[in-house]
Amino acid sequence: MRNASRAAFGWLALAAGAIVYPLVLPGAFYIDVGTTLLLAAATAAAWNIIGGYAGQVSVGHAMFFGAGAYLPLLVYKLWQWPPIAGLPFGIVVSLVLAVLVGMPTFRLQGHYFSMATIAVAELIRLVVATAEPLGAAIGLQGPAVGRGVWDLTFRSGLPYYYLFLALLAMVLATSWWLQRSRLGFYLRSLRASERAARSLGVPVRRCKLLALMLSAAFTSAAGSLYAVKTGFVDPESGLGILVSVQMIIVAALGGAGTLFGPVLGALILIPLQTLTNTYFGGEGSGLTYILYGGAILLIARFEPGGLLDLVYRARGLFAKPAPSSEQSRHAA
Amino acid sequence: MRGNRLARLLLLAGALMAAPLAQAADAVKIGILWPLTGNAAAAGQAAKAAAEVAQDIVNNAHPELKGIPLADTAGLPNMGGAKLELVFVDHQGNPSLAQQLALRLITQDKVHVLFGAYQSSCSFTSTAVAERYGIPFVIGDSAASNLTGRGFKWLFRVTPIATDFAEAYMRFFDDMKKQGKSIRSIAIVNENTDYGTSVGDAIEAAAKKNNMPVAIRIPYSASSSDVSAQVLQLRDKQPDVVIFISYTSDSILYMRTMRNLDYVPPMVLGDDSGFSDPSFIPAVGDIAQGVMNRSSWDIGKPGSTTYKINEMYKAKTGRDLDDTSARNLQGMLALADALNRAGSTEPEKIQKALRETDLKPEQIMMGYRGVKYDETGQNVLASTYLIQLKGKQYEPVWPEKAATTPIQWPMQTAKH
Repeated sequence: MRNASRAAFGWLALAAGAIVYPLVLPGAFYIDVGTTLLLAAATAAAWNIIGGYAGQVSVGHAMFFGAGAYLPLLVYKLWQWPPIAGLPFGIVVSLVLAVLVGMPTFRLQGHYFSMATIAVAELIRLVVATAEPLGAAIGLQGPAVGRGVWDLTFRSGLPYYYLFLALLAMVLATSWWLQRSRLGFYLRSLRASERAARSLGVPVRRCKLLALMLSAAFTSAAGSLYAVKTGFVDPESGLGILVSVQMIIVAALGGAGTLFGPVLGALILIPLQTLTNTYFGGEGSGLTYILYGGAILLIARFEPGGLLDLVYRARGLFAKPAPSSEQSRHAA
Repeated sequence: MRGNRLARLLLLAGALMAAPLAQAADAVKIGILWPLTGNAAAAGQAAKAAAEVAQDIVNNAHPELKGIPLADTAGLPNMGGAKLELVFVDHQGNPSLAQQLALRLITQDKVHVLFGAYQSSCSFTSTAVAERYGIPFVIGDSAASNLTGRGFKWLFRVTPIATDFAEAYMRFFDDMKKQGKSIRSIAIVNENTDYGTSVGDAIEAAAKKNNMPVAIRIPYSASSSDVSAQVLQLRDKQPDVVIFISYTSDSILYMRTMRNLDYVPPMVLGDDSGFSDPSFIPAVGDIAQGVMNRSSWDIGKPGSTTYKINEMYKAKTGRDLDDTSARNLQGMLALADALNRAGSTEPEKIQKALRETDLKPEQIMMGYRGVKYDETGQNVLASTYLIQLKGKQYEPVWPEKAATTPIQWPMQTAKH
């Protein structure tokens, strides 16, 4: 009980911090960094639903992000609609993709599933890069100067910031619900052992597919907001493998399969990225990548379960009995 | 005696105080976005060195550089000798990061002008930020034709773009026909990403406009390890000129494959990039004798202004100035000229001065016909030289006034 109220208090403090952040640090650049952070957290949290809770490490989530990013700019290009109107279309395309990709690939396990998702995502990237209606290799762009409020081309970064914050809140709320729902327990059980879960009557493939669809829908929504904010997408920035990899790194760094993990990962990684690029990027010495890679390496070596493990261990020193990770707490 | 010393001290103090006053003209800050790491790091780094040479030319007195505006004075004379201050940022080729960094340069670093951004994708996003904030953005080198023409008022592009190259090729073919060379049809072979596609499209459109038959257009992937099928297609169609829009390893592969299949068209015209790569001539120079290429940059004869600029760049990097970096250097110089005429760091005044830019051929270092922007911000006088591989280097052969040696047609290694 005390634990639960403490967690609730923590979340409340975090939410309050996120809401006032742009008002405390009102520079356009800081707001943009904050928005980037929220985007990273939201996509990582969306990936976390299938990659973390269900343990199905997808390395092809860029296809959902890309679908979300392309559709708004496509409806703008074709019919001059405000880009944000493409968001639901992006979700529909992503859900269809999730079913098409999920049905055959969920027969595969472990690395084979990851490899299959990479292959599909790269295939989509290559097809898009040669598809003339999708701007081929040059990409699509939105309205550079807005025709009205509905185009969402703000000079101030504030509206984007709160849009991304709302999205993150939705993903986290869904994850929170998932954690305590029957589906959540099924997912964690099939992550622990798919065979055991199946023999206990867990509808494994249906659960995986549901989780993938949920994950895809949120990833796609994040992609749409990204496209609306950036006003541009090309195959590399929308569908490139680095897009998928970033979601995984952020989630894994903080702690995959936990509610707070993706947020923590983004809280560490994005400021680190920005700081190293601000101070060392201009020299072009590549120090940005060295520091960034070094940090990831250290965490992978010493805290492979994600930084959240470290937090729980530290807390365990003071409290008894010591829960080693969030999911064991929920299982208890 | 004492009074004398006091007076001297006072004088000294006065001089010390006056010194900063004399330089009180604030520096003009130029924020430069380039890929300094990542895939295109080499190009970004080379361009950075070129921008620093431009800074040196403007900030210090270089009377030896005849004709180049602002070379013989130190700083910008109309702004009390204000210096150029360059703030470099690395967008890593990531359009979203480029957008964020443009914001940072404008709001944190308070730069007066933006410059960049190499990859067209990054130019798309960063110029949109500049447009929203009303800060002039000068594109040194991004060739996507739809960068201009978005109705932007703060965007200026000095470099020639795909359509300029395409038109130059057509003018060249016309000249060749007048000299009695037979050009019945051309072929376009382009790598299938952003660069190859846009240049290929532009050439195809220009050919159509000029009634030049395109026998075949072959898009291919630059990472192909075998291009014999493509070369056989070419041999089948027998075009008089084959235009390659290729990167490095693939342009080398094409030259080797044509040689192995015993087919070399009367003329091969490379569109810069792979054909200009430092590794092209050592790899296939002997079997590519007579290949043509484009370049807006020519080092020129010893003692010429361009030669001296190249020496400055060489002292810094140990390499000759390449076409891409030279275009960026020219972009910086054209920008500096506008800044000086603006006489102020107010965005509106800089924008107005940029609009009024009118540099003559003798005032620039590139093979352009000048620098003058149309209402979309594109330099309408941008153009290119055509060069031909003779021995171990390319020599300018077209237009005639820039040629150092007569053109050889068909090329030496032709076999069809």
